[in-house]
Amino acid sequence: MAVCIAVIAKENYPLYIRSVPTENELKFHYTVHTSLDVVEEKISAVGKALVDQRELYLGLLYPTEDYKVYGYVTNSKVKFVIVVDSSNTSLRDNEIRSMFRKLHNSFTDVMCNPFYNPGDPIQSKAFDSMVSAMMVQAC
Amino acid sequence: MSIPDYMQCAEDHQTVLVVVQPVGIVPEDQFFRIYKRIASVSQVSVRDSQRLLYIRYRHHYPPENNEWGDFQTHRKVVGLVAVTTCASAKEWPQTADRFHGQKEVFGATLYDSRLLVFGLQGEIAEQARTDMAFYPSFDRCDDVEKRVEDFVESIFIVLESKRLDRATDKSGDKIPLLCVPFEKKDFVGLDTDSRHYKKRCQGRMRKHVGDLCLQAGMLQDALVHYHMAVELLRSVNDFLWLGAALEGLCSASVIYHYPGGTAGRTGGRKPSIAQAADAGKRHRPGAQEVLIDPGALTTNGISADTSSEIGRAKNCLSPEDIIEKYKEAISYYGKYKNAGVIELEACVKAVRVLAIQKRAMEASEFLQNAVYINLGQLSEEEKIQRYSILSELYELIGFHRKSAFFKRVAAMQCVAPTIPEPGWRACYKLLLETLPGYSLSLDPKDFCKGTHRGWAAVQMRLLHELVYASRRMGNPGLSVRHLSFLLQTMLDFLSDQEKKEVTQSLENYTSKCPGGMEVITLPDGLKLPPVPFTRLPIVKSVKLLNLPVTLRPHKVKGLLGQNMTTKSPFIYSPIIMHNRGEERSKKIDFQWVQGDVCEVQLMVYNPMPFELRVENMGLLTSGVEFESLPAALSLPAESGLYPVTLVGVPRTAGNITVNGYHTSVFGVTSDCLLDSLPGVKTSGCTVEVVPALPRLQLSTSLPRSANALQPPSGEELSSSVSVQLFNGETQQLVITLENIGTELLETLEVTSKTVSTKEKLFGEFLSWDLDEALSQFPLKPGQVVTLTVSIKVKLDFSGQENLLQDLNDDGISVTGLPISSPLRQVLKPRAESKPVSAESGKAEYNHIKTLEAILNFKYSGGAGHVEGYYRELSLGVRVDVEPSVLFTRVSTLPATSTRQCHLLLDVFNSTEHELTVSAKNNQDLVLHPSECQRMAIQVDKFDFDSLPEPDAERARFANPKQLEEERQQAQGCEINSKLGIRWTIISFPWVPGH
Repeated sequence: MAVCIAVIAKENYPLYIRSVPTENELKFHYTVHTSLDVVEEKISAVGKALVDQRELYLGLLYPTEDYKVYGYVTNSKVKFVIVVDSSNTSLRDNEIRSMFRKLHNSFTDVMCNPFYNPGDPIQSKAFDSMVSAMMVQAC
Repeated sequence: MSIPDYMQCAEDHQTVLVVVQPVGIVPEDQFFRIYKRIASVSQVSVRDSQRLLYIRYRHHYPPENNEWGDFQTHRKVVGLVAVTTCASAKEWPQTADRFHGQKEVFGATLYDSRLLVFGLQGEIAEQARTDMAFYPSFDRCDDVEKRVEDFVESIFIVLESKRLDRATDKSGDKIPLLCVPFEKKDFVGLDTDSRHYKKRCQGRMRKHVGDLCLQAGMLQDALVHYHMAVELLRSVNDFLWLGAALEGLCSASVIYHYPGGTAGRTGGRKPSIAQAADAGKRHRPGAQEVLIDPGALTTNGISADTSSEIGRAKNCLSPEDIIEKYKEAISYYGKYKNAGVIELEACVKAVRVLAIQKRAMEASEFLQNAVYINLGQLSEEEKIQRYSILSELYELIGFHRKSAFFKRVAAMQCVAPTIPEPGWRACYKLLLETLPGYSLSLDPKDFCKGTHRGWAAVQMRLLHELVYASRRMGNPGLSVRHLSFLLQTMLDFLSDQEKKEVTQSLENYTSKCPGGMEVITLPDGLKLPPVPFTRLPIVKSVKLLNLPVTLRPHKVKGLLGQNMTTKSPFIYSPIIMHNRGEERSKKIDFQWVQGDVCEVQLMVYNPMPFELRVENMGLLTSGVEFESLPAALSLPAESGLYPVTLVGVPRTAGNITVNGYHTSVFGVTSDCLLDSLPGVKTSGCTVEVVPALPRLQLSTSLPRSANALQPPSGEELSSSVSVQLFNGETQQLVITLENIGTELLETLEVTSKTVSTKEKLFGEFLSWDLDEALSQFPLKPGQVVTLTVSIKVKLDFSGQENLLQDLNDDGISVTGLPISSPLRQVLKPRAESKPVSAESGKAEYNHIKTLEAILNFKYSGGAGHVEGYYRELSLGVRVDVEPSVLFTRVSTLPATSTRQCHLLLDVFNSTEHELTVSAKNNQDLVLHPSECQRMAIQVDKFDFDSLPEPDAERARFANPKQLEEERQQAQGCEINSKLGIRWTIISFPWVPGH
């Protein structure tokens, strides 16, 4: 389904990043890193309008030749980025939304762990397996 | 047209293109000096009209781009300024030919041209020619700008005439079809009489006139013409030219909405009002009359007419529409493969407009589109240019990461394997520019605060690339700096394997170019601050150590008190005390001594998965001259906290502050300042250094004691000796004091203190004569002084009072009495208030008693002495006293003389040696071990009362008990002097006394 899933801290450094073709991980690092520009732009644009009723889902950040990059921002400014293959046309906006929702729920669980220090890389096995499940689903 | 001009922006549509080129041999720097002066004439206000003419100068322009001049007139080279040098008249014809040759290149489109000749003087130079200007040298050409203005005006005249020509040419019998180069063959054999064809011709011509109007400064007319062109061309589906007409419309609207320009060039455009205001002043007498139809000016020119204002508002596109039309235009361009450059340039222009409008998201869409425009086979250089400009545009819309990404791609392109001569320098320069995009600064100070922030994976990659590029550039110093930075800041993110690799390559580089602490300044002015390895090893705590006990300086008390009073006039003030407390928090309450080795203890930790060799580790201090004695250490892999002691010698007196330490790791020397180290525990770093003091080394004739004396309270002993003596024995202790320091030893004071003991001690335990030693003072360094101390032990080994009573009563011999029975030993000894005779009484034998005393040597000299400091040596003396001769029974018998009596003493030898006992006027008595014999001594009778009473002064302060003791002691002495009893162990060479 997804080829890369990343969780980015408020200060724009990765808390978690995983991609399916692991041999070219750095490429996804760059993809996700550059997508932050769009995320920031979108946040600042929304910020002007309504802060309270903000939509967490940011939609398609940008399409590249091979991938589509979707973004999602929690209220605490933690960003989720999902990269999917462009050729995968079966994925609708709704599916992407539900993926983000799942991701957010799982992330909330991670944050609830009293032994997790906010700002540290996520090493939770439960989170990892959830991400794996999302990646494998349609692949 | 294959070479896009990425710098184009919407307002370039209103400029006329002038090419400035060197002809013949012109020094490059001179040419660019002149070029800059020419280019400064970027806008000219045309006389007698309020119109402004904008000029775009190029020193290089591909002629194939010129062929698109009909499509968009701003692409047409209309002016040529040639710059040449000519030394003599002889060369002149050749130079003139060259100029004409140059004109031929752009000949079809040129309106006018000029030749600037430098260096030529004489007949030719004097002839007045409008198309040529002669200057004696590059430094003497004051009116170049004026010449250029005149030239621009002449271009304007041609432009204006062309505009009027085309605009009024409405007869319509035969409008020529304007076309772009690649279209020409398409129209061969087309029916030129069809309505469709005519409309196409009309539309294109309208668009062309619009371009000319825009260039001539008639915005309003341009808008009208563009609108008409759009309508005409849309009806005939002439998409390429429709796109151009739409773009023209956009350009004109942009010029209207954003008079400041969209390119963001420095300086920008001068406000046109100011330009118009001084237009009149610039009217010069004798200049050419403007050949403009006055009627055309009033009807079409920009005037104060309100009707034209309304028209403008109607025709002009709104900011939103501009983007819509740009999108449309680009989509039309996109239909033509050969118009890729036009499409790309349109994208770039649109992005610039969007950047002004702060619509970053839409701008990024345009850019995204631009990325995919295929321009066919691009040369490597063009690719670099393209990526660079994409990066610049992303930067413009605030997408710093994207910008950095493309810049990095451009950098990589500079050194692509296909390039025969990789441009590592350019690559490095571009990589440096990407740093902000990856929120990476090359100053390690930005990283020491708290945890690392940023995308470590991409930052590390970039640093690796910087290292590699700088190495290939042939600047190992830079590589070392970047690699050090990588190691220092990214340590947490490096895997063990990477740590090994990075350090290995760092060692390789440093073998060629050791890393240091200097700031590296790059040619473009960027400064690379030094990277101290504060984490190799990690220092956890810094502790200044006191000097060893024997070397600690002490302040003479009286002086200390004075110092205290001088600090503040108040005896006590809570506020001042509080302030002082804070001030003192960093100051330590001991002192170091000038010239003596001082120590600082660091707790260090090696985070590397391998052994870390730290060389040349020393202290960084300020305040006084300090000679650091560096240490080398090797820390095991992932060591725990590891203590390291750094030493040094202060060379002057004053306050010294330990600021940090320096190390050399992997060939990189670093100065680590404690201030910039997070999480270093320190108990203060400032300590006072007192002036130099002498140093004494103490050695004794007696063996050192294995078990050191336990000092009474807080004191530490420098050394201690122990000796075993029989009761009553006297031993000489020779103490040798050597001045091992560098200062003169001026004073020496010796005191002794007996460690409190319950034993009763008779006589002086330790006695010495200092005068002989002092006579040798001052003692120079290296000299030795000896001091003899006599150790005399006289202890009471007598038993208890009741035992004595027993003996007196029944008079039995004590030989064989189990005196050492446990019963006796548990009985508490009572030393005080014993009868005088008990002094030579009986006691428990075979019981060793211990006496301990401390000899203190206070000494000083040199500068420290002047300041009131002294040093102290202390020698512990421990004496194990064995019982020797015991008098088990005392009685008297009257002698023959009434003034004398016989004193009968039962003498018991409690030693394991045969000994002799002698008294005054008596022969020796030989005693075998554990033998008891009676000896009789004839003595004069005497009265204790005859002894002098202690003086009244002392009696007043002492209590009766003390007085009593003193009296007893005096009486004991009296008896001793009368009797003079001595004993000698026969097998021992020395003569102890009792």
